[in-house]
Amino acid sequence: MKPIETRLARLARKGDQRAFAEIVDLYKDKLYHLAYRMMNNRQEAEDVVQETFLRVYKNLDRYDEDQKFSTWIYRIATNLCIDRLRKRRPIYSLDAESADHEGLDGYAMMPSDDRTPESELILSETQRIIRDAIETLPAKYKSVMVLRYLQDMSLQEISDVLDMPVTTIKTRVHRGREFMRKKLENKL
Amino acid sequence: MNCKVAIAFMHDYLDNELSREQSAELSRHLEQCPECRKRLESLERTDALLHSVPAERAPNYMAYRVMKSLPKTRSPKAWTTWVRRHPAFSAAAMFLVVMVSSFVAMWNQSEQLTVRGADLEHVVIEGNTVIIPAGQKVAGDLTIENGVAQVLGDVEGNLTIIDGNVTLASTAHIAGKVKTIDRAMDWAWYKVTSWFDTLAYGS
Repeated sequence: MKPIETRLARLARKGDQRAFAEIVDLYKDKLYHLAYRMMNNRQEAEDVVQETFLRVYKNLDRYDEDQKFSTWIYRIATNLCIDRLRKRRPIYSLDAESADHEGLDGYAMMPSDDRTPESELILSETQRIIRDAIETLPAKYKSVMVLRYLQDMSLQEISDVLDMPVTTIKTRVHRGREFMRKKLENKL
Repeated sequence: MNCKVAIAFMHDYLDNELSREQSAELSRHLEQCPECRKRLESLERTDALLHSVPAERAPNYMAYRVMKSLPKTRSPKAWTTWVRRHPAFSAAAMFLVVMVSSFVAMWNQSEQLTVRGADLEHVVIEGNTVIIPAGQKVAGDLTIENGVAQVLGDVEGNLTIIDGNVTLASTAHIAGKVKTIDRAMDWAWYKVTSWFDTLAYGS
């Protein structure tokens, strides 16, 4: 028997909106977690999640049932994040001070996150440091590390999602982990 | 084992990719290398810290926002999907359609009576009936399309009738074979072979 998502996808493909709503329910938090850590911005994370589901919905006909549904949906979401990161890099040079906005670096120029949930208020210093460290990871390491640690994927699963050889993923996880180790060792 | 390999093994260990033998190798190295022991501890801390990041939950309105953003009608263009999924089959089907339609067009063209042969002087045509009168001798092959053959005399070659029939009188004498073709496949086969004959012998 096919996994539940595959069956839901099949129903949704036939136009069953409730089946699609169940898919949204199953994945919205996972995708949001992924997108939020990738983008480090709530608004953008919400946009990525919405765009991901929209693409899934429009392309249900193309979903290949031999592939895991989760692999497919994560691939769409990860690609959207990577695209957005690539596009915003020339606009926000995160660590360089901008000439037009004296004293403001790229972080301050990003849309502010004023809808901070209560859980954020009690965010420990440790968690804040980890977040900042993830944020400074170069995009190609960031996606791999977020999938590895925040989505608990194996190297093989990451390789399926990113459509890259396992050996490449392995190298990136190793380097990403060393990067994180150096960042965290200094601060914690 | 040098420290560089040991560090690579540590990462593999954290990714659950280290075999039993490799684990043993690594622990042997760790016993005698305090530097690497420190490195492993540090990596394990990093690993634990990364695992400790609390899962984010999407805001409450997320599902509503997504569902509202969907286009109203999901037009299931079944056939375009099918075509996309089976490119080879689609190409073959397309080819078949073209072949059949051109074949049908060719088929419909030749409704009229056609008589072919090396020697047509001794043949009498009345309406769509081709008569070889008694006492007459047709040299070589004779082919009749869309007509009726009435043979009273002699044919020295083969007699082929396509989409028609033949009546042989008692006086008739045909030296070659008599062949009646009235099905599309036979007709096609005949066309093909005669085309090859033309190619091979140029007649």
